[in-house]
Amino acid sequence: MTRASAWPLAAWACLPAVLWAAPPESLARSARQVLELHCVECHGKARTSGLDLRTRESALQGGARGSAIVPGDPSSSLLLDAVLGVGQLKMPPGSTTLPEAAIETLKSWIDAGAQWADSEGPPGQSQWWAFKKPARPEAPSFTDDSWVRTPVDAFVLARLRERGLEPAPAASRRTLVRRAYLDLHGLPPSPEEVDRFLQDESPDAYEALVDRLLESERYGERWGRYWLDLVRYADTSGFETDHFYTAAWRYRDYVIESFNQDKPFTVFVQEQVAADELWPTDTDLEGTLQLPSRKQENVKRRIGTSLFTLGAFPIEYTFYGDLYRAEWRAEAIDMLGAAFLGLTLECARCHDHKSDPISQRDYYSLTAFFAGSVEQEIPLGSIYDVQTSTRRFPLLEQARVLKRMAKEASKDISESERSEMLERLGAAYLRAPDPYPSAKVLGHEERVPATYVLGHGDFRQRGERVEPSFPAALPGGLAIEEPETDLFVPRRRAALAKWLTSPGQPLLGRVMVNRIWQHHFGHGIVRTPSDFGRQGEPPTHPELLDWLAVEFAERGWSVKEMHRLIMASSTFRSASVASTEAVERDPGNLFLGRMNRRRLDADALRDSILAVSGKLNLKMGGVGVIPPLTGEEILAARMPYLWPANPDPAEHNRRSIYLQAKRSMAVPMLQIFDAPDTARSCSRRETSTVAPQALAMLNSQFVLEKADSFASRLREEAGEAPEQQVRAAWLAALGRPPDGSELQTAVDYLNRNSLPRLCLMLFNTNEFIYVD
Amino acid sequence: MWTNDSRRHFLRHSALGLGWLAAMDLAAEPPESASAGPLAARPAPLPATAKRVIHLFMQGGPSQMDTFDPKPALNRLDGQRPPASFGSVDFQNGQFHELTLMGSQRTFSRHGKSGLAVSDLFPHVAKRVDDIAVIRSNYHQGFTHSQAQFLIHNGWPRIGHPSLGSWVLYGLGTENQNLPGFVVLLQGGVRSGPEVYGEGFLPARYQGTSFRPGPDPILYLNPPEDMTRAHQRDLLTTLRTLNESHLRERNHDSELAARLESYELAFRMQMSAPEATDISGESAATKRLYGLDNPVSADFGGRCLLARRLVERGVRFVQVWSGNGQNAIDWDGHVECDRNHLDRAAETDQAVAGLLLDLKSRGMLDSTLVIWGGEFGRTPTSDGGRGRTGGRDHNPYGFTLWMAGGGVRGGRVIGSTDELGLRAEADPVHLNDLHASILALLGLDHERLTYRHLGRPMRLTDVGGSTWLADRLREA
Repeated sequence: MTRASAWPLAAWACLPAVLWAAPPESLARSARQVLELHCVECHGKARTSGLDLRTRESALQGGARGSAIVPGDPSSSLLLDAVLGVGQLKMPPGSTTLPEAAIETLKSWIDAGAQWADSEGPPGQSQWWAFKKPARPEAPSFTDDSWVRTPVDAFVLARLRERGLEPAPAASRRTLVRRAYLDLHGLPPSPEEVDRFLQDESPDAYEALVDRLLESERYGERWGRYWLDLVRYADTSGFETDHFYTAAWRYRDYVIESFNQDKPFTVFVQEQVAADELWPTDTDLEGTLQLPSRKQENVKRRIGTSLFTLGAFPIEYTFYGDLYRAEWRAEAIDMLGAAFLGLTLECARCHDHKSDPISQRDYYSLTAFFAGSVEQEIPLGSIYDVQTSTRRFPLLEQARVLKRMAKEASKDISESERSEMLERLGAAYLRAPDPYPSAKVLGHEERVPATYVLGHGDFRQRGERVEPSFPAALPGGLAIEEPETDLFVPRRRAALAKWLTSPGQPLLGRVMVNRIWQHHFGHGIVRTPSDFGRQGEPPTHPELLDWLAVEFAERGWSVKEMHRLIMASSTFRSASVASTEAVERDPGNLFLGRMNRRRLDADALRDSILAVSGKLNLKMGGVGVIPPLTGEEILAARMPYLWPANPDPAEHNRRSIYLQAKRSMAVPMLQIFDAPDTARSCSRRETSTVAPQALAMLNSQFVLEKADSFASRLREEAGEAPEQQVRAAWLAALGRPPDGSELQTAVDYLNRNSLPRLCLMLFNTNEFIYVD
Repeated sequence: MWTNDSRRHFLRHSALGLGWLAAMDLAAEPPESASAGPLAARPAPLPATAKRVIHLFMQGGPSQMDTFDPKPALNRLDGQRPPASFGSVDFQNGQFHELTLMGSQRTFSRHGKSGLAVSDLFPHVAKRVDDIAVIRSNYHQGFTHSQAQFLIHNGWPRIGHPSLGSWVLYGLGTENQNLPGFVVLLQGGVRSGPEVYGEGFLPARYQGTSFRPGPDPILYLNPPEDMTRAHQRDLLTTLRTLNESHLRERNHDSELAARLESYELAFRMQMSAPEATDISGESAATKRLYGLDNPVSADFGGRCLLARRLVERGVRFVQVWSGNGQNAIDWDGHVECDRNHLDRAAETDQAVAGLLLDLKSRGMLDSTLVIWGGEFGRTPTSDGGRGRTGGRDHNPYGFTLWMAGGGVRGGRVIGSTDELGLRAEADPVHLNDLHASILALLGLDHERLTYRHLGRPMRLTDVGGSTWLADRLREA
């Protein structure tokens, strides 16, 4: 057994009894980072007001206004007054203020004696914390603290104690099971599933629950969704033509399957960037009719590269080859930077990055990794399948001719002639061959075009010629050797994939564990999950982040292992309710003294309604489903006839991840609840609270129909007695029985109204819409 | 991320409390934090002449040389190739130098005290020219509809950025909390998709809300038929009872409390939105003023009247769309441009003039900025597409918009295009200048109206923009 329960409690208790006292080295480092980022531009070499914050000595000495820092006494420290703006001075000048976390860091650091992390050397470009390879920090140790189940808790408790805070009590088992289901599946537990967990008295009941959830295919649908947000997945191009990416759904299914298989994250990344170069496929059938499974596997890996074929592009980019290439590569690099590296590379498209050490040259050197790569359609079956499918081609031609005749004749013919014609047409289409399965992936063009720095990102303004190379500020880049000609098959993306996943790569692991953490807690340890650069927020728990990143690599880049590790912690198992004092002292819950309460996102909310109504269709995969929309919902679509609802009603009740994602026309119910716009990588969905959400939850056809279904289900399960109906309704929707006053309120309501109304009301309770 | 919500939360709950607030430069703060609710009306940080906006958006792109920018030289050269001195530019269908010049079939005459030239497409609007400032020198780079619509509305040629109305709402809030602060009145489809009036990376509360024709103006506004208002009140009261005990057990979480309030607002909106959109109480004279007595102009006229009712009730920003996104039913005159524009003018002329007059007689024109225009103009040449006769292609290189009210001094022309109407020439108005100036009229500083996204503070005007146009529009 390798999961987190393998952290034996006894072993923790046996660790040497070193009390948490001195601030960690990293607090000093964090403080230096804050100073470097926000202060030293003026109070460094420039010595504005005589103040130089680059060394401890000069900072203590202070400037024209006296000492900036009084170690151990934040309230007497001018530096803190200035960043808080409480005295005569407000820093930084102008409209900006320091992030909350940065001020907390400075305060803690001064409180703890303002030690200087001199070992760091002078601040230079590659000294930025996130650009250095994480090393395993030692977890703080505690005597007699049974709250600390895993090192995760030790890191969290240490930060809490620094602030004089204590963690909230553990969540109830009912809360925990609902939290676990919604976290890992995006669906609430059924009453039976709640019971099963409550009645399991074995010591590893919780670990077994987590395992069960991770083994279910619902898991990949939930966590695949987060990945699809990150890589701006959609089924159409957006803009005026909004043309269809007919095989994009294969990438969506590939992502879901990858999460379900717990594919090592590095492999997942390599496949998406360069499966064709790293796992070349040939189509030799080796004497059979089916592609051998090993080759089939490699074909499947290649679907990962579809990622770069489904961005938002106006069709006019295709008017000029160079424009198209420039925009396509830039889009690829921007998305890759945000999703894989947590960097805002796009700033460097037009000029050197203002805050991170990424030059415009670096940017175009990165885009050069995609030079020579083009979108390509490949058959997914064997050559045999492809060739035999053409045998029935004449039948397709027959159907086409009938279609033309039917169109031309439709005005002047009688109803009976018309129906006869339609019958012939239908019959012809039934016999016509299905297209063989194919996917749009990355391949190579014949020649590898040169890459240039483009002035202002404009394809017409060619500057210096660049070769593929890695940003100098990031470690691990190797020189790339290529022949002196443009006629060769490049292996550039393979090099990029290897660099991204190399052991020395500082960002990939940190960024991904931070995302996993974020989706369990509502916020990442770095609260700007796709910006680990200097404009991002510093980590609230730097050692924990590094510790997790090291664990991630050592556990074979297994995402499921990280869930087990995080979910095993007392931190994860805390209640979301804390004492009023604790909430007042840490209103933003930066120090994780309690669980963050989270609103269900659009997908989880729609899926939960479907699940509770008893209508959820768990069919997986395939072409995106077009759900029916009412006339008023479709009003803004430019061409409503291009929204042909799927004729099979059961399909309408599939999970939201399987709905067609049309860039020019979002499903209103999802959009109202902040579904991403799919224009660019989305690392964190907004959670707005607006009146149109209330209207959608009360009046939309979707919710009303599901309330009816929920009511029918309750009648079947609980009969006609109001009390039984109410109990069953509470268990199904909220995973708990109603308390006495709720029961009374609900039964009274039921007596005045109908069961579907009660069901509608339950969908609208905060308890249903939020997870504690 | 240091979102505005977390900032507000922090401020409210910070032990530092008022000390912090007092020391802050409030004018420089993100606008949300200065008030109680994120949508509450706030005073503009700079002197404002406009308090609200009605944007009359002519989807498809009206022709400048057939409306407000007469080109006698073009008429003279009708049927000829362009003179070589004009060089060439790319259009959607062909290049300028390969195409044939096409004069206007419209007649221009001078109107009002100002003597401003308007074509005979707009006899009603022509009577209001002394309130109108025509800007003939607008330009941008987007020569297809979707790019150009995103540019005009959002400042960027792609999805993902907030619409002008969202920025204004973010900056100023709105005066009526029972109605959306940014309302979009469509004729039908939108070429670039609904994101064009979306909130982009701003929180969803700043999105444009599309009001639909008929008694159900907001999506999902009306409860099902068998749910009376009493039923609904009962449901909401019972729901509130359940939610309140849930809230008590959860540290009175402000986000949960906000959701409770959002149900009350939704309930109020069900009353106030139909009241705002019900024009049955308007006088016959007012209806005639907007052309409601004529079936050709009644649709657009109804939406203009609705726009007036909405701004009257405190809505901050209203877009009124002419054209439904299909070539034959918007201003996209690729074929028989003159015929197309005659039809569109017949639908809109009276209502546009009626709106200006109505706002003026109610004393609202001074504080309401009315903007008229499309996503670009049209070419001085005939369309290069095959089989397209009498059509004009898209022209983003020089085109006309006009503004009235909101402190704009009317009866004047700003900027010019060259003698053929191809490119902006005198006082060219860059898109960023246009947006910066609209914000300036509203008392908003385009450099300070920012929101943090993708690691930097984002603006409507990117890194450009000057407010010279606002100064010119206001000057006596």
